[in-house]
Amino acid sequence: MLTIGPFGFLVPWILGALLILPIVWWFLRVTPPRPDRKKFPGVRLLLGLKDEETTPQHTPLLMLLLRLAVLAAAILAFSGPLLNPASREGGTGPLVLLVDGSWAQGADWASVRAALMDDLEAAQRDARPVFLHTMTEKSMAGEAVEFQEPAFWMQYLPGIEPQPWFADRAAFAAWLADQESVSFETHYYSDGLRDSGVEALFEELMRHGSVTYFEPEKTAIGLTQLSLVDGQLSVELIRVQSALQQSLTVQGFGPDPSGNERLLSEIIANFEPGVTSVNVRFDIPAELRNRLSRLQVRGVDSAGTTLVLDASSKRRKVGLIAGVTQQEGQQFVSPLFFLRKALSETTDLVSAPLEDILLATPDVIVMADIGTFSAVERDSLTQWVEQGGHLIRFAGPRLAENSAGVLEDDDLLPVKLRTGGRNIGGAMSWGSPKSMRPFPEQSPFFGLKIPGEVTVTSQVIAQPDANLAARVFAELDDGTPIVTGKSLGNGSVVLFHVTANADWSNLPLSGLFVQMLQRLTATAGAATLSNADLEGLVWLPEKIIDGHGRIVEAAGLGGVAGERLVDFHAGPDAPPGIYNSGKRLIALNLLQNEDALTPMGSVPGGVIVGQFNASSETDLKPFFLIAALSLLLADIFATFWLSGALRRSSGVKAMLLLALIGVMPTRSEAQQDDAAIVAANETVLAYVQTGDAKLDSASYAGLVGLSRILTERTSIEPVEPMAVDIEQDELAFYPFLYWPISEIQKTPSDAAYSKLNAFLRNGGLIFFDTRDANLGASFGATANGKVLQRLAANLDIPPLEPMPPDHVLTRTFYLLQEFPGRWTGSDVWVEASRDSLQVEGAPFRNLNDNVTPVIIGANDWAAAWALDETGLPLFPVGRGIGGERQREIAWRFGVNVIMHVMTGNYKSDQVHVPALLERLGQ
Amino acid sequence: MKNLTSAEGQNDVAGRAIWLRRDAERIAGSLPPLLAEARQLASFVSSGLHGRRRAGQGEDFWQFRHAIPGDSAAMIDWRRSGRSDAVFVREKEWQAAQTVAIWSDRALSMTYSGGSTPFNKADRANLLGLALAVLLSAAGERISLLNTSADAAKNGELHLQRMAQALAKQSDSNEDYGAAPSGPFAAGSRLVLFSDFLGDCDALETTLAKAANAGVKGCMVQILDESEGTFPFDGRTIFESMTGAIDFETHRARALREAYQQKLSERRAFLRSICQRYGWQFLMHWTNESPRKALLWLYAGIGQYS
Repeated sequence: MLTIGPFGFLVPWILGALLILPIVWWFLRVTPPRPDRKKFPGVRLLLGLKDEETTPQHTPLLMLLLRLAVLAAAILAFSGPLLNPASREGGTGPLVLLVDGSWAQGADWASVRAALMDDLEAAQRDARPVFLHTMTEKSMAGEAVEFQEPAFWMQYLPGIEPQPWFADRAAFAAWLADQESVSFETHYYSDGLRDSGVEALFEELMRHGSVTYFEPEKTAIGLTQLSLVDGQLSVELIRVQSALQQSLTVQGFGPDPSGNERLLSEIIANFEPGVTSVNVRFDIPAELRNRLSRLQVRGVDSAGTTLVLDASSKRRKVGLIAGVTQQEGQQFVSPLFFLRKALSETTDLVSAPLEDILLATPDVIVMADIGTFSAVERDSLTQWVEQGGHLIRFAGPRLAENSAGVLEDDDLLPVKLRTGGRNIGGAMSWGSPKSMRPFPEQSPFFGLKIPGEVTVTSQVIAQPDANLAARVFAELDDGTPIVTGKSLGNGSVVLFHVTANADWSNLPLSGLFVQMLQRLTATAGAATLSNADLEGLVWLPEKIIDGHGRIVEAAGLGGVAGERLVDFHAGPDAPPGIYNSGKRLIALNLLQNEDALTPMGSVPGGVIVGQFNASSETDLKPFFLIAALSLLLADIFATFWLSGALRRSSGVKAMLLLALIGVMPTRSEAQQDDAAIVAANETVLAYVQTGDAKLDSASYAGLVGLSRILTERTSIEPVEPMAVDIEQDELAFYPFLYWPISEIQKTPSDAAYSKLNAFLRNGGLIFFDTRDANLGASFGATANGKVLQRLAANLDIPPLEPMPPDHVLTRTFYLLQEFPGRWTGSDVWVEASRDSLQVEGAPFRNLNDNVTPVIIGANDWAAAWALDETGLPLFPVGRGIGGERQREIAWRFGVNVIMHVMTGNYKSDQVHVPALLERLGQ
Repeated sequence: MKNLTSAEGQNDVAGRAIWLRRDAERIAGSLPPLLAEARQLASFVSSGLHGRRRAGQGEDFWQFRHAIPGDSAAMIDWRRSGRSDAVFVREKEWQAAQTVAIWSDRALSMTYSGGSTPFNKADRANLLGLALAVLLSAAGERISLLNTSADAAKNGELHLQRMAQALAKQSDSNEDYGAAPSGPFAAGSRLVLFSDFLGDCDALETTLAKAANAGVKGCMVQILDESEGTFPFDGRTIFESMTGAIDFETHRARALREAYQQKLSERRAFLRSICQRYGWQFLMHWTNESPRKALLWLYAGIGQYS
């Protein structure tokens, strides 16, 4: 390679061709422009005239230079010019390729891998032994450094992937410290994040030889601090310090009702310059939010930008039902008041009658003092609980009075109750109000602190039996259960033996009440797991996030002790993902709330900062080639201009223009959009373009005429008719398509057919007109009829029949029995009426209850309808007054057709007229 | 059966004839038949079947005169005579038909078109010639088309058809420049010459002299393409005649423009002068001008000799 200043040439010998430029110069100079030969009768008059001036014999100097520049640019282009060529000289000695391989490199892994490959290839050229290591792999402790042939590493390279955790630089530095007497050069591909171990690492690396440090091209982005704030899902998007403005899209994915994962919501987050953290909130309906299973930053595929969600980020939907209807002005004694206060912060509340609540599929239903259920309510409620619903009931006077659950087990009560309940510490009773004992271990409230002031004055009493002890969640000082619960199917039933208001106890006034309810609603579905819940259990990874941010099945990974997951930090033994222990699921994400991304900043002195090769070296070949081509084009122009062809021949101009701008597209998107907007906002009659300009303009004029008649006579006021290209245009906007059949009609493509079929199925009407009055033979035998058969073969057309005399088309606006167009007499075919019903006394049968998708005829209606811009008929119809009458009937039929399209079988409803008249007493 | 009135008719002799005829009648159509016009514009329009301003054979009333001995009783106009004591004879105006010979140059130079108009000089000459023929025929004159198959002096629809066909036929001439017809000419007839007159002018003068001998006068219409007047050429150019027999090379065509235009106007002045000498009319007509202008001029020009 030849290097001159910042330029390098890969194929320098081609530059030798520059020597021929002077020869070319000489050749070009002596070639005069070609004379123009012209036929000109006036030549006789020219004979004998003398030229006073002469055109220069030589090519103009500018042209000469232009052509030499073309040649020079081409020669330079083919000599492989490079700007800032990368040094291609190799090094010697062992080479260590050190990669962080952490999550932060996941988004950038392709370029890291390409750079490693380049390094390996260079090492192979220079026959250097290589050692390649990623610091997210298991620690090297105890092993010796093993240099291998580059080819060996090349085999392994495709299998080396980034890992969803941080690189353990300290461990590698510690291992290096033990490797004495080995010296090597290091290429360190970092993830660009600083941690506590990086200083030691650089120190150790430099002790063994020179170090080249490579920053990643994409800086790290992370998602963290997943929480629910005001019912909205909130996450922080963090990045390393940067002065750039950056716009990222955070996407939420989750299963749709059919169980397939799909994009549910996306939010665009903008980093202002200098800002490292942006709060992103998903303000979406609770149903959608609860379905979210993962969040991801679009286009950044790393473990740090993927968050998996568990139940803790879901808000429960809680249904509230009270036995007494609340009365105005009695808020504080309302049985639901304290429940609302306690639950509204953390859950979505639904207050409605029971059957409506069940339709809303709540996670929890809280009932305050409801004694009895109807059989239907009981069945549906039981079914809901067995499918995983959680029922929380509060006692009260009604429940106490109720005999249910007294004699036999009630599914919807955890324990049998005694009738009546008891009063403690009141004016008429013995003893003092009772306080509560600490919660037993099997209780979901275990661990909550009981404030001393909580006392109970009234309660319903459980009947002691064998099951009772296991079902007690909380009890009073004297051992009577105050909260009991049992599981039923997949769900559970919990009973508070006191009221939900302050009548029977002051429990609802205490903070404990809120905590208890939160525990109960949180365990509905899944628990919010505290560290204490993790410990002592073995958690199995179910799905894990890989280094590229993909959620993958955790196949072959062993269980992880709960203690490891406390204060989770991801590592080879515990990748981020979803873990389960029995029914409980927990989502553990890579970045923890306190994590911030610290950029590497400056590297210690002596470390060479490398750059990825691809970015530094610029191949100049395309630029030179483009320069040569554009100069060539300029030369062509100049040549034409000099020889005068440009000024004379419009053909040459047109050719050059064409060569420059290419062929313009025939129809722009914008135009289509405009047409679509008009068609969607207005009523538009449309016709199918057949490709026969005369026929198309007749169709247009016909629909103009029909539109005018409709506007004059009916409430349908169509705007200007539109031509429809069935290959390109969207048909959904048009209620009605007039399709004149012409022999040059091309068979539509499959895509067009599926559009047409969709149009027909969704209530569109196509009016086929063969325009030949069926002159010839029976239907289908005429040339246009054959074309129609060919066209309709792939259309979803129902069975047809000639229009029966009682078809709704005969009376949608005008009463008609003939349907003439320009011709008259041929049959008009419509969808055959199925299951027709003759109602006694009705003038018409009760016919098919929809719009016929097609009308097929041969009377050339458009020609009869056609009006020119002055409102005069364009085509003659019939003769004299009779012809005018025929045209009038044709218009009436057109009005009927459009009315049919617009109003459907509204007129068929007259079938009920006799019955209505009878009822009116007439 | 081919549809001769459609575009494909252009490729066929019969079809072209129909087109030419149609075009000719289109421009002539706006002019009323000569005699009808004559009644209104009696002062200056007088060609074709026109009154001779003296009594004779004809249709139109001229004057009443007193009957003189020798007039037959049948000649007496009894209605006029009944109003007075004298006896009157009704005289009609003398009317006679003329013969007009039309010559349209069919040499190759007439097929030149500079590109600014869609038709060449020959097209224009044929159009004007036929339009004139349509007008004259409608007025009852006899027309002949010299040097073609329709050179007999006749009138009527069939003759017009034949003339149109003759004009529409592709010229079989292989000469650069046409020579004016050398006669003989019918005595007292009228002659109309359409050509670019870029060729040899000596023969033209002979023609005019011969015609003058036979008492024939007429109109000379020089038809030129726009580019032949403006000479819009530049650069190194070789000019060729239509057959290529004559050529002329220049290094800088632009520089020749003035000299060429000078020569052209000299030629025109010469043509004008010989016309003047023999009592002819001369018209310069450019193909980019409206043909109606030229037709109107011809219409008036032919009438002048009556």
